[in-house]
Amino acid sequence: MRHHHGWVAALGLLAACTGSIGDGDEDGNGTVESSICAVDTPIRRMTRVEYNRTARDLFGFDVDVADAFVAEEESNGFNNQASSLTVSELHVDQFMQAAELLSAEATLDMAMLLPDCDPAADGDALCAGVFIEKFGQRAFRRPLSADEIAAYQALFDKTLADPETASFEVGIQLVIQALLQSSAFLYRVEFGMPSPVEADVVLLDDWETASRLSYLLWGSMPDDELFAAAASGKLRTPVELEAQARRMLEDPRAREAVRTFHEQWLGLGHLEAVSKDPIAYPNFYPGLIPLWREETAAFVENVIFDGAGDVDSLLAADYTMMNAELAEFYGVTSPDAPTGTEFVKVKVDPSERAGVLTQGSLLASHAKGDRSSPVLRGKFVREQLLCELLPLPPNDLVITPPPLDSTKTTREQFEEIGANPDCAGCHLMMNPIGFGFENFDAVGLYREEQNGKTIDASGEVVGNDEVGGEFNGVAELAERLAGSEDVRSCVAAQWFRFGYGRGDTEADICSMDNLQETFAASGGNIKELLVALTQTDAFRYRREVVAGGDQ
Amino acid sequence: MIRKPLNRRAMLRGAGGIAIGLPFLDAMLRPKRSSAAGEEAPKRLLIFFSANGSAQDIWAPSGGETDFDISSHPVHAPLQPHRDDIIIIDGVDNEVSYHSGGDGHQTGMGCMLTAAPLLAGDDFCLGACDDPTNTIGWGGGISVDQYVADQVEKEANTKFRSLEMGVQVNSSTVWSRMSYKGPDQPLPHREDPSQNLVDLFSDLDADPLELALLRKKRKSVLDVVGDDYQRLAPRLGKDDKVKVDQHLDAIRAIEKRLDANGFVGAACEMPTLDPTGDIFANDNYPAVGRAQTDLLVMALACDLTRVGSIQWNSSVSNKRFSWLPTPIAEGHHDLSHFDDGDAYALDAITRVNHWYTEQFAYLLAAMKAIPEGEGSLLDNSVVLWVNELGKGNSHTRRDMPFVLAGNCQGYFDTGRYLNYGGNDQDHNHGRLLVSLCHAMGYPIDSFGMPEYGTGPLPNLTG
Repeated sequence: MRHHHGWVAALGLLAACTGSIGDGDEDGNGTVESSICAVDTPIRRMTRVEYNRTARDLFGFDVDVADAFVAEEESNGFNNQASSLTVSELHVDQFMQAAELLSAEATLDMAMLLPDCDPAADGDALCAGVFIEKFGQRAFRRPLSADEIAAYQALFDKTLADPETASFEVGIQLVIQALLQSSAFLYRVEFGMPSPVEADVVLLDDWETASRLSYLLWGSMPDDELFAAAASGKLRTPVELEAQARRMLEDPRAREAVRTFHEQWLGLGHLEAVSKDPIAYPNFYPGLIPLWREETAAFVENVIFDGAGDVDSLLAADYTMMNAELAEFYGVTSPDAPTGTEFVKVKVDPSERAGVLTQGSLLASHAKGDRSSPVLRGKFVREQLLCELLPLPPNDLVITPPPLDSTKTTREQFEEIGANPDCAGCHLMMNPIGFGFENFDAVGLYREEQNGKTIDASGEVVGNDEVGGEFNGVAELAERLAGSEDVRSCVAAQWFRFGYGRGDTEADICSMDNLQETFAASGGNIKELLVALTQTDAFRYRREVVAGGDQ
Repeated sequence: MIRKPLNRRAMLRGAGGIAIGLPFLDAMLRPKRSSAAGEEAPKRLLIFFSANGSAQDIWAPSGGETDFDISSHPVHAPLQPHRDDIIIIDGVDNEVSYHSGGDGHQTGMGCMLTAAPLLAGDDFCLGACDDPTNTIGWGGGISVDQYVADQVEKEANTKFRSLEMGVQVNSSTVWSRMSYKGPDQPLPHREDPSQNLVDLFSDLDADPLELALLRKKRKSVLDVVGDDYQRLAPRLGKDDKVKVDQHLDAIRAIEKRLDANGFVGAACEMPTLDPTGDIFANDNYPAVGRAQTDLLVMALACDLTRVGSIQWNSSVSNKRFSWLPTPIAEGHHDLSHFDDGDAYALDAITRVNHWYTEQFAYLLAAMKAIPEGEGSLLDNSVVLWVNELGKGNSHTRRDMPFVLAGNCQGYFDTGRYLNYGGNDQDHNHGRLLVSLCHAMGYPIDSFGMPEYGTGPLPNLTG
């Protein structure tokens, strides 16, 4: 695992971005003019979601085996940060078992698995050879090397030579198992083109680029068209990449990938552990959790693919998505209230609610079991929407949340802590934002009073010139955030981390600048941001791999 | 996920047949050593974790070293039936955690079983993540359970080196991992009881012929898979190579496991599980934990492993104790931060810790219920209850709430309360980890950082 290798790379490449690589170039290339912002990119292990989708697209049937895998490490707010993902015996055991299950299911329908060859007519050996080469290329997302073909062929031959396993079907099963446990399937390994374009910078090869596109935009393997483009060298220019990206964004798989990003960015995974005090919230039941989650995911999908498409609408749209059960929980009685299990558009009162910030998913997960949490809600806005990171409380500070006081509002109680000079510095950044959410309780229901007192939902964003100032209620805050350049820059940075599977380093400044400029110019359009992610140096290039060398 | 069906009848059919020589049958037909002579049963090490500190201010029971009384203690009372099998430890510090980067929970967790500082790194950040001084990596050493597992592995090929059971951990960060195979190598938990039932016990019930065939196929496949990682590793840069080498090590470990011919103890039988519902839902926490405990105990009884742990949630656990007779509205971590003077919080947090004591007592009772020779599984084991903090609201890692159970074949002199005083350099928790190694038969001088103490903790042995 790396320890600040990003900084090592950064030192050299900051220079690369601004003109020249000096004498410190370890690879002996001397002083070379360089204009490309490339970094060392770590190998990326598939996440559970990517595994399921890849296996589905590889075999053509629905797959959920990876749901049983160990949860990924969380770093930078995402679960796909390459260098933080670990591997252990349990992981490898789970990969083995998943491969066994998938190989058994895949060989139930041999004609589908192997359409071009009939072992009865063409012979086992010929068909196995065809299978290894064709299926292997799709599983590895690149052609197999001669060594690899020989290894899988040998496995097949050995299986058939043993009377206990001597069947074509078993031979194919074991080949599939070996392919699915290989490094080329489970990881994205990138070496780039054989010769550098300048200094030690290489363009990714065609197959690597195809996988970068498909995992960025679909969270899955390339389709036939993308493979064909890779095979004919048609993924080497920004124009070609843009055309592919636009095509791919029209595919339903892009919707899945976009949902996955938002689930992590908005912290929807934390919903699973949500539990509410039944005395404080008698209308809470665990069945709400998947409904809240789907509300936000369906809303995000609707805005980005079927609606205005911009980040402003995510934050400030005057509608959300509900089904009948969720509408009943929220108490929606309007004429457009849904009647079935499907999630459909429902208008909200724009003076009360706006975009994702007032959805149950966010409000309930950024709350305590028995009360709202102005601190968590304010922190969410600072960290996730403005990309401002707040220091944690000092290590040994005795932190005393106020006990519930039925004579005061939550706001009044938190205002008392905020006044403590030890806490004020940091809490001033969070609490006044969170107070603006006080019309919403810990299960996301609108309220105008608490403990017999009228809610005061006036708030303030302290210390941010652009979105700063006082506001009243979360709808007004959402409006303010929706127009913000800071928020757009933050969204672009979050997508960079998720899309590239790593934190940005100083060497990525040119790529990040391009991304943020393009995003701003598009009016904050998310699909345009996704296209822009395929155009950066960070996406197209990497530094040459030095075997055994520092990364 | 398709689950392999368990087939008791198939095993009996196989056992009655003539397929002598298969590893499993061999084990079944061998005389059961543990029932013949207690001293031949293997020693086992178990770690039990609960979070957020405990009842530090009332930790000491009334009475003295041997005549202590916990019968009505607010936290320890559930251990009354086991008072002669435990040592309540007081005044031992996790000193190394004060000489490590990271916050209180991170260091408490990551240094707990390693006695080593956390690594530098940028996997996890504390607040302003773009400032390298605010970031931290994984644990910086091998954990004691894994050290012992490494030693056991040299003597016995159990099916699993070790078993890491989790109860709603469902996260992988430096806050949520306590076992390390080495620096930077956190071990994940097995979290799903029904999956564990299959993974751990299905071999016991499988048709031996089918089992042998499965092992043969797996070996063929893993052989090819191992070669693939071996070809790739030397082509990579240093950091990626480390990762691919670790993957390769794991493949080799599984290959080795296929050769294991687990010694089947007298009390070894297929566990039965009650359904737990959604394994990550807050209210199912007790049921999931109970199932995981049952599986772990039976895995030890069957000698599937000799080293294990059960981790209840993770450091900073915010479980809401909705299942208590009087449910608690706040989450555990939130409660643990209340001021000492808050009577409501003090009562609630005491009830939380009391509940964890009940779970620990259940584990001990389950181990006692497994007869081995003249004694029980517990007599052949040492179980250590650990926590990442001494006390929640101060985040102190001094005066840690350790409870040790099981005499490990006479190594520990149990039935005592021992206060080491705390706040000195002589009684740091690294020495307690040394004691665990000694008890298991591996007399090392120090564990983790020797500057925070060498040799076993005094006065634990008979």
